[in-house]
Amino acid sequence: MALFEVHIPILDDIKAKGLVPTLIAKTDEAVLRLTAGLNVEEIRSVLRGDPPKRPNPRTKPHADGFWMHMRPTYFHKKVMTLYPTFRLGWLSVYFLVFETITGLVLMLWYTPSPLVAFENMINIISNVPFGMMMRDLHRLGAEFMVMVVLLHMLRTFITGSYKKPRQFTWFTGGVLLLLTLFLSFSGYLLPWDQLSLWAVTIGASMAEATPVIGREVNLLVRGGPDFGTNGLLRFYLLHVFALPLIAFIFLGVHYYKVIIHAHSLPPGEENPGEDTARKIPMDKRSYFLPDVATKEIYWIVMWTGLLILMVTVGGWHAPLEPHADSQVTPLHTTAPWYFLWLQGMLKLGDKVFWGVIAPGILVNLVFVIPYLEVGPSRRYVHRRIGLTIAAVSVVAFSALTYMGTPYYAVSSSADQEVVAALVPQTHPGPLRGTPFEELPAGEYTTKQWDNAPSEGLGELLELFQHELHKYDDELPESEGIMVIEDWQVGLKKITFRVLWNEGDNSFSQFVFLHENSGYEE
Amino acid sequence: MTWRTAIGTLAVVLTSIITAFWLINEPARMAEAEEGFEGRSIEAGAALFENNCTRCHGPQGQGLPGLAPGLNTQEMFDGTRVAEVGWAGTLHDFLYSTIAGGRPVPSAGTTYPQRMPTWSQEFGGPLRIDQVRDLTNFVLNWGEAYELGIAPTVQKVVTNPIDPVGTDLSTPVLPNGDAQAGEELTTTLGCVACHVQTDVGPAWLAEADPNGEGIGTRASARIEETNYTGTATNSEQYLRESIVLPDAFVVDGYPPSTMVMTYGETLSKQDLADLIAYLVTLK
Ligand code: HEC
Ligand code: HEC
Ligand code: HEM
Repeated sequence: MALFEVHIPILDDIKAKGLVPTLIAKTDEAVLRLTAGLNVEEIRSVLRGDPPKRPNPRTKPHADGFWMHMRPTYFHKKVMTLYPTFRLGWLSVYFLVFETITGLVLMLWYTPSPLVAFENMINIISNVPFGMMMRDLHRLGAEFMVMVVLLHMLRTFITGSYKKPRQFTWFTGGVLLLLTLFLSFSGYLLPWDQLSLWAVTIGASMAEATPVIGREVNLLVRGGPDFGTNGLLRFYLLHVFALPLIAFIFLGVHYYKVIIHAHSLPPGEENPGEDTARKIPMDKRSYFLPDVATKEIYWIVMWTGLLILMVTVGGWHAPLEPHADSQVTPLHTTAPWYFLWLQGMLKLGDKVFWGVIAPGILVNLVFVIPYLEVGPSRRYVHRRIGLTIAAVSVVAFSALTYMGTPYYAVSSSADQEVVAALVPQTHPGPLRGTPFEELPAGEYTTKQWDNAPSEGLGELLELFQHELHKYDDELPESEGIMVIEDWQVGLKKITFRVLWNEGDNSFSQFVFLHENSGYEE
Repeated sequence: MTWRTAIGTLAVVLTSIITAFWLINEPARMAEAEEGFEGRSIEAGAALFENNCTRCHGPQGQGLPGLAPGLNTQEMFDGTRVAEVGWAGTLHDFLYSTIAGGRPVPSAGTTYPQRMPTWSQEFGGPLRIDQVRDLTNFVLNWGEAYELGIAPTVQKVVTNPIDPVGTDLSTPVLPNGDAQAGEELTTTLGCVACHVQTDVGPAWLAEADPNGEGIGTRASARIEETNYTGTATNSEQYLRESIVLPDAFVVDGYPPSTMVMTYGETLSKQDLADLIAYLVTLK
């Protein structure tokens, strides 16, 4: 008697049926198991676009497979078109995943320490193949994601999809909105350049005005009174760990709610007060396999292509300013664009009311809307007030956003503004964009703009003149002088001098410019 | 469904082509980006040098006599300097470590009144590591000119070195001085490093003086002092004497020969007149 017996069934099969047929049969079986219900023949039939057999074998993966069980077996045909969803919820998921993938790549090259973070950015850009592309994609994706999520919220409001029974879907969406904003905001700090430090400092100082907890919460996230080693590490951990984790959990809840209530039909499709989304008649069904799946793959391809196109041929690049410096406050620091409305509100008056109470009420309003606005009809004609409020809010937020920019009511001295228009502290600007060889050494006045020794210099002097004229009230009888000196091989010192009141008052500022700095691109 | 498949496939192909093209170009792009960051580092270093170093090393790093050695010199870049100090490493490392750590122990044979300060935060200085790196890149970039055989562009150090004013107190007769030009000279010549920014020399400004008197007021009182050893008979002459013959009278509490001894040979009549015109305004 043998001690143990090995029995390999495939050998029996091979003996019985021959090698090739056995391998084919086994492959088919493996595919069937991996797809949780579709064999090779069925997959080919899906790809060919054949109508499904009865009973439909393509619904099996939804019942048996982990990934597919998260997706409905079929959708209503009326929600498969661009209207009513505009695919914005789907796109939000796309960007969340896209950001996760590109973010994981960036993580390989990043250490969250003020000593090396900025150095890491330089390394990613100048030493990692495709590093710059990954960074650009991650940054661009983040901007898109905020926009897309906001638009998604707007559309679910407009189609009245927050109404009964989807109140809680909306509520979890609100959580996702906050998470999206804070994900983006926490990422802002990580490059540790001037833009990072000051945008985030401004954001944090707005929150600081919150009575009682403002200062404590700020100390907690920053790990000190200013951003430093602790603050960067905490923001990093929020950005790569805590916030994504919570976001994926809430995405799960949000989408679960979306599925159990089914996508709301276009408001005109059902009687006011009714919700028929779950009962989809046979002839109105659009099956996940193959219709929805192919569409989604198509959109993934198109969006990924578009993003790659934008950061390559399109020339869109993530900004990188000089190293963060808590001693040097740039002239026009702004919060990230999606917080500009807050900065705008702060210009309206009292810091505590406009900076904390009003936005606090607005944010909380988002969460309670579905529980306050309980009108039964989702039809547009029945919701004139609600839709008007939505339109007014969009306009108001745009106006506040504009007011948050430095273009609106920022008091800084005119002389500094003029020079900052030529050499801004927050982006390269006109001087740094001028070709190096078009800046010959010498002393030039704005009066010479039309006979300057080079085209680039002429344009700069003209702009200088133009900026001075903007402030004729503050700077009467002004003149601008630009001194260009050869400082080292490949390095020039450029001094801007603003003289006004017949030269009684003056202001001057200098910058250095190196030939290879490559700001022009 | 078919048009979607077609467009989708086309998009995949196009995206792949673009990406492949980008991959081919990556090494060149990365090299250019690296050069760009080096350029920006030199720019940052230049601004830092302007704000922190010119008061001792001069506006163009050519050194200020009696204060600090030149950095923008032939010897620095042809290997003489590193050989002289017996430095086994590279010039880059010599500069980087000197700037980062300063030179707490003075080099043999030097009598600079102030030590080269420590700059890096690692050693308790004020600058971040990346700033020390920027400064090093900036100083190193002077070497380019020596490599290309271009004489360094040293400007504005001494406006007219051809006709020095000498050390006599009455000849030549000085022209009218311009106080504003004088004020600028005190920075480019490095006087402020000893007289304003630190207390190596007697304070010029009234606020910093124990008796609340500026140099302009003090000058006339000095010649009345019983221990006055110089030959000046009025305050302008006293100032002139203090600049061109510092040891004719050494102010109490300061060691002799600390102040630069060579101004008589390097200043022009006009420079000296400007300096005096400025100093008398500091009441
Ligand atoms: C308070 C005056 C002072 C300031 C400010 C100063 N230095 Fe110095 N530096 C000196 C002195 C004095 C020496 C010579 C020290 C010695 O050799 O003992 C020196 C030496 C050096 C050396 C070494 C030169 C050599 O040949 O050995 C370098 C490099 C240098 N300084 C760079 C800088 C830089 C860069 C800055 C600005 C961040 C700076 N220094 C600011 C006084 C100064
Ligand atoms: C290396 C440091 C140093 C530098 C640089 C320096 N001085 Fe002085 N200076 C001193 C010291 C120390 C004294 C006091 C000892 C003495 O009288 O010689 C002094 C004294 C003086 C006095 C007399 C002060 C009094 O209270 O009576 C005048 C005037 C003066 N310096 C002008 C200048 C001018 C002008 C320059 C620049 C061109 C200059 N110094 C550069 C160190 C310096
Ligand atoms: C990261 C952010 C978000 C993601 C990933 C996300 C994802 C989705 C998805 C995939 C859907 C399916 C239908 C569609 O495409 O519209 C959906 C529906 C919905 N979302 Fe979101 N969402 C997010 C944020 C929000 C926000 C901010 C709100 C509103 C405050 C919101 C409210 C809703 C509502 C009410 C529905 C149901 C729509 C219907 O049934 O027609 N979501 N969401």
